[in-house]
Amino acid sequence: MKSNVFKILAVMVLLVPLGLLTQNPAWGEWESDYYIKILGYLPKGMADAKGVTPLLPDYSMKGGNEVLWYYLSALIGIVLIFAIFYAVSKIGKRRVSKS
Amino acid sequence: MHIADGYLSPETVVVSFAVAIPLWVYAFRKLKAKMNEETIPVLGALSALSFVIMMFNIPIPGGTSGHAVGATLIAIMIGPWVSFIAVSLVLLIQAVVFGDGGISALAVNALGMGLIASFSGYYLFELLKKYKFAPFIAGYTSLVFASFFVALILGIQPLFWSHDGTPLYFPFDLKVTIPMMVGGHLLFGIAEGIFTQVVYALLKKEKKVTYEI
Repeated sequence: MKSNVFKILAVMVLLVPLGLLTQNPAWGEWESDYYIKILGYLPKGMADAKGVTPLLPDYSMKGGNEVLWYYLSALIGIVLIFAIFYAVSKIGKRRVSKS
Repeated sequence: MHIADGYLSPETVVVSFAVAIPLWVYAFRKLKAKMNEETIPVLGALSALSFVIMMFNIPIPGGTSGHAVGATLIAIMIGPWVSFIAVSLVLLIQAVVFGDGGISALAVNALGMGLIASFSGYYLFELLKKYKFAPFIAGYTSLVFASFFVALILGIQPLFWSHDGTPLYFPFDLKVTIPMMVGGHLLFGIAEGIFTQVVYALLKKEKKVTYEI
């Protein structure tokens, strides 16, 4: 593949552990304890929130090596993105050939 | 800027999906029209760049951090609709696999980091493209605009959805969310600007050959 975009992507993936240098959370993306500490309570909607249980919460695996799982998370995300794009293109093609 | 589950009132969730779904359908058609053997790998790689750049957390004073999004780069390379759907896909993977941003907040997150960032970045770039630093300015501004939208949605939660003065969802109002979110992104925008400027400079020669907007 001739595009430079793959080289750029490879370099970025190699550097991705730099993203772990800070432990600061994003503004508004705190754990429940933070709200309880600041407000004295956890808003009801937040306490009742039901989401899916993520496979790799916070791009890490409990007890696993932080850097290794950050690398693996980057690769998993990239593989999923490409898989979905290829799947979508296949669906598109099948529809065209049927019609 | 990734809003989590439980931060938004059900009304906000319903309205945001009602707005986002038709836009996703339209964007998806635009995406499929641009897909061919030559563009798919590049589309995938640009979306992957967006996923990876969001993993570079940058600390700022005050104990928080943020990151670039990469929407403007995709928008100026392949168009804002494709960028919107690509960033939405990245956000979906982040929500489902990594617990980064909520499923219920996916529409708001996609409208901010996807739609608003892509379109503001795209049109600013088009407006300024004779200037050398157009990609930087477009990227920078797009992130600030997106953060303003997210601050607005978060900040109205306690105003409309409180019980006896106690917020039911995200507890901080506009007086807090606007200065904190937008203020932070006045800094993170620099990262978005540099990313857009540098990667665009490395890819722009390919643009004419590979795809048309």
